[in-house]
Amino acid sequence: MLQHDVLVVGAGLAGMRAALAAKQAGANVAIISKVTPVRSHSNAAQGGINAALTDRGDDWKEHAYETVKGSDYLGDQDAIEILSQDAGRAVIELEHMGVVFSRGPDGLLGTRRFGGQQRARTFFVADITGQAMLHVLFEQLLKSGITLYEEWFVTSLVMEDGQCRGVVALEIKSGKLELITSPAVVLATGGCGRIYEPSTNGLIVTGDGMALAYKAGAPLMDMEMVQYHPTTLKQNGILITEAARGEGGYLLNGKGERFMDKYAPSMKELASRDVVSRSEQTEINEGRGVNGCVLLDLRHLGRQVIETKLAYINEVALDYLGISLAEAPIPIRPGMHYMMGGIKTDVHGATRVPGLYAAGETACVSVHGANRLGANSLLDTVVFGRRAGDASAAYAKERGHKNVSEAFVADEEARIKGILARSTDGDSVAKIRLEMGQVMNDNISVFRHEEGMKKAQTTIRRLKERYARVGVQNKGKVFNTGLIFSLELGYMLDVAETIAAGALARKESRGAHARVDMPDRDDANFLKHALVFRTESGPRIDWLPVTMTQWQPQKRVY
Amino acid sequence: MQITLRVKRYNPEAPEERRSWTQDYKVDVPEDSTVLDSLIQVREYVDDSLSLRCSCRGAICGSCAMRVNGHAALGCKSKVQKLLGKDNVIAVEPMGNQPVIKDLVVDMTVFWDKIRQVQPWLQPQGPEPEAEYVAPNEAMQHLVGVMGCIMCGACVSDCTVLEVDKNFIGPAALAKAYRFVADPRDGHAKDRLGLYNKAGGIWDCTRCFECVQVCPKGVAPMDRIMALRDQAIDAGFIGSYGARHAEAFASSVEHSGTVNEMSLVVNTFGMFNLPKLLGLLPLAIRAGYKRKMPPLFHKPVEGIAGVRRIFHKAEEQQKAARG
Amino acid sequence: MKFAFYPGCVSRGGCPELYPSVLAVAHRFGIELDEIVGASCTGAGVLQEKNRFLGDSLNARTFAMAERMGLPIMTICSTCQGVMAQAHQRLRDEAYRAQVNEVLKEEGLEYKGTVEVKHMLWVLAEDIGVEEVRRKVVRPLSGLRVAPFYGCYIVRPSGPLGYDEHPERAESLERVIEAVGATVADFPGKTRCCGFPILTINEPASMRMVAKHTLEAKEHGADCMVTPCPLCHLNLDGQQPKAAMAASQDIDLPILHLPQLVGLALGLDSNVLGLGRHIQTTYSVLMKVGVQVH
Repeated sequence: MLQHDVLVVGAGLAGMRAALAAKQAGANVAIISKVTPVRSHSNAAQGGINAALTDRGDDWKEHAYETVKGSDYLGDQDAIEILSQDAGRAVIELEHMGVVFSRGPDGLLGTRRFGGQQRARTFFVADITGQAMLHVLFEQLLKSGITLYEEWFVTSLVMEDGQCRGVVALEIKSGKLELITSPAVVLATGGCGRIYEPSTNGLIVTGDGMALAYKAGAPLMDMEMVQYHPTTLKQNGILITEAARGEGGYLLNGKGERFMDKYAPSMKELASRDVVSRSEQTEINEGRGVNGCVLLDLRHLGRQVIETKLAYINEVALDYLGISLAEAPIPIRPGMHYMMGGIKTDVHGATRVPGLYAAGETACVSVHGANRLGANSLLDTVVFGRRAGDASAAYAKERGHKNVSEAFVADEEARIKGILARSTDGDSVAKIRLEMGQVMNDNISVFRHEEGMKKAQTTIRRLKERYARVGVQNKGKVFNTGLIFSLELGYMLDVAETIAAGALARKESRGAHARVDMPDRDDANFLKHALVFRTESGPRIDWLPVTMTQWQPQKRVY
Repeated sequence: MQITLRVKRYNPEAPEERRSWTQDYKVDVPEDSTVLDSLIQVREYVDDSLSLRCSCRGAICGSCAMRVNGHAALGCKSKVQKLLGKDNVIAVEPMGNQPVIKDLVVDMTVFWDKIRQVQPWLQPQGPEPEAEYVAPNEAMQHLVGVMGCIMCGACVSDCTVLEVDKNFIGPAALAKAYRFVADPRDGHAKDRLGLYNKAGGIWDCTRCFECVQVCPKGVAPMDRIMALRDQAIDAGFIGSYGARHAEAFASSVEHSGTVNEMSLVVNTFGMFNLPKLLGLLPLAIRAGYKRKMPPLFHKPVEGIAGVRRIFHKAEEQQKAARG
Repeated sequence: MKFAFYPGCVSRGGCPELYPSVLAVAHRFGIELDEIVGASCTGAGVLQEKNRFLGDSLNARTFAMAERMGLPIMTICSTCQGVMAQAHQRLRDEAYRAQVNEVLKEEGLEYKGTVEVKHMLWVLAEDIGVEEVRRKVVRPLSGLRVAPFYGCYIVRPSGPLGYDEHPERAESLERVIEAVGATVADFPGKTRCCGFPILTINEPASMRMVAKHTLEAKEHGADCMVTPCPLCHLNLDGQQPKAAMAASQDIDLPILHLPQLVGLALGLDSNVLGLGRHIQTTYSVLMKVGVQVH
């Protein structure tokens, strides 16, 4: 049996930052990840990380307010204050670790503008900020000597007496199931984008942590808040960073008009993401699009800016569209990108299950509310990752180790054996996944209505039944990706059901949850979080008031 | 579009005589598909026993490096249409220089061990400043090019030296090493150069350009290794045969405009390095016998004064550029 | 057809047999070679490690001299070709070229950026054309199985070497082998490194490369190997006995320079082609194609 004080699941930014913090607090830490750390999806964050650095005249309160406004007042303001206040320290810390942030002519950190904010406070590494941060945190991880279970897949949380005491995990290379015990487990598994088709998310982003916590009895929160990013490629959903607009890019409709003038006269292309995505979708729906897209035009930025500050998206445009951004506009459209919702945690990353913590996209503190501002997600990972690491280490120290029965492994072995024993006639994991992705993207996306959301809910339920019967062709043990794919689909279906439940429960429009049948925000009845609990008969919704400190809801205009 | 993926497969759990085989998958894919799209289609709808790593589909996660038509590449960056050979076949194999676990999945343990070997973390000198380090944007911009490395392993897969010498640190790790030597915030450039100057380090690269050619991110590992060589010499690490060869080569060109093979060898090994020089005797005797010898008296090229002037000007410019 | 001829250092140094064989073959095809007098070494990638700008300046000097002659350059060495092609590519940038020209000024030279650099292999495969090569053959090398060995620098990096415009260059050596009536013995190592650059630094690895490629070629049925790179020849031929010893295995694979192979098919005298001047005897090749050895 493998034993640690703190076990972090997921080796993206939040996970690695949590592990480093726990290690620094003196805990025996291990990270378990289904992929090599640098393969994690934090990589794909492009544009930057927000911070109001006071020594150059910025004010954290301004950042906090804009985050609150961006969240359509659903963000918890105490958490947002922590986020904004800690941001400067977090960015400087990353710089000290080695992140090669862009500089100004004075050699000090430079910034660019990002959506939903008046001031340029986004620190960046060209358009590979996430990758640069991820690789630097990995360097720190190598330096720290933290134990790494690389390419291990968590199949279940070990729950005893209502507490989380570790995990059962599959070593993918050997196919062996192992029990890893620890008084504290931190889930940092990222989002669940692959529930949607298409999505900007990588194929590994399958909501594992959300599903594990949900099954263990921890509520998920605000799951209906699914962010559609305004600029994604049509054919494969790949992300084109908001920095393209931050650097001054235009959005044009089929007639060549800068249509954002109409929808957000002051902030235009740099309005918050939900606003821009809705505007684009409106243009497309009303026949002013181009083959289901609108255009992103960067030509006027010039080759120099494009090739230095936006080199990666230029590479993407060349690879997948054969277009150089300096020469022609590219077709883009809103695409599923990020989960504002997730496992409900407090500001220390604690879930409602003792011993279970969460941080990053998989968690919901909530700092993003109904709509996340661009460049706040990277900030979220390092600020709340660190806090979850500290808190979990303290918890583990206080509680100490308990013996856990090896029977947990036997149960999982039996379950997996059961999956492998099923027939593979006709139906397949891939077909179920695709149907799920399409029904979610068709019905719980930029614009929503009751009937569509119900359809999605019914479809997911039916797919769950099919899933319970579907098998895997590969019966082997070594690197059985077919089996992993099947287990991931199970996680995704559970999480998809909570998204549908949250969406149907929220009978108003707020942030990313835009209902055409209920177009107004209803603060009287819905200025509150939707908690989703798992029950035998399906998801159960409960409500939780939003924490407000200094900003009262106002009409949201950009 | 109908294509055939000719996939080299490996299943360690099969009986020994049936562990490796080549399997053809005929799939119908859209014109703008990548090799990865096509493999995913196989895995999802034809044969889920085909194992491969992949995630982002956008050349940023580094999971899907493999050999496509004989050369390392990211599956997600390889457009099917550009690769179709005779009969619309595309050959797909696992990466080279790394043991195969299953099908297209290789064991990258050694890859990461080599990365660890170069001490891949920033080592600043002195106490941390309260705010950020002050550093020129050009230096950071330059490092972004190297940080663009996604650790996919393509360069290691096709490295010609690793194929014959497992001791070589290799292109990915040395590119990573360069990232720290070139970082103005790092305070241990000299120690690092000393470490990388050892056997298996920067001088073992054969300059074959494979890593430059296959790198999907334009990191050009070999160029970084060459920069490390130059900086190692600058830092005073001039004792290795590699450094001596580079210096001897330059001095030969400076003096005669061309390469004097005789003096190159003698200067590299050292006039009094008898074991090495004696080791060359059999070849020298054979060559002499076959009249396959460079001329004993190496004549400078016509206009050598001009060559020397250019030489000195370019050297001065470089010195000035470095301050 | 006329070229500014750039013979490089090795064709008159370690591989003295190469130079006359080039002249003889060129003459048969009516290729006029006007040698660039006073041209310097390209730097062979070694100088470039130390100071790329220096390497580019020396190559720009050579380019300017060829430009003055009003002729494209013909090289006979993969390494020269590659290094020149890379310099050529960088010198397309006007600002950079101006910087280099500043250094050339005192020599009364200026490179305007108009020169073309072509290896003899491409001249044969593209300018003369394989059809014409085939027509000129008087002694078809039928039955001879030849393994192609390109040399890194004529293959990579493919951009500056013009592979995007000329994808057929990837098989130019095979096409010439077939044109002279021989059979291609294809093998995996044909575009890999011969090991020459690390000969003095990591000799065991260098020897393993020689052994690997030559033995693999033999496994694929090769009677001999042909290379357009004299540096590869130095290692694959010159070091073959040592490599065989290190591998504890006989190799005995004749290594031919490209013009030697073509020259044989053109009926040129084996002495003119310098086929007796190799470390690894070419006797078996001559016997196989029916050449009297005297």
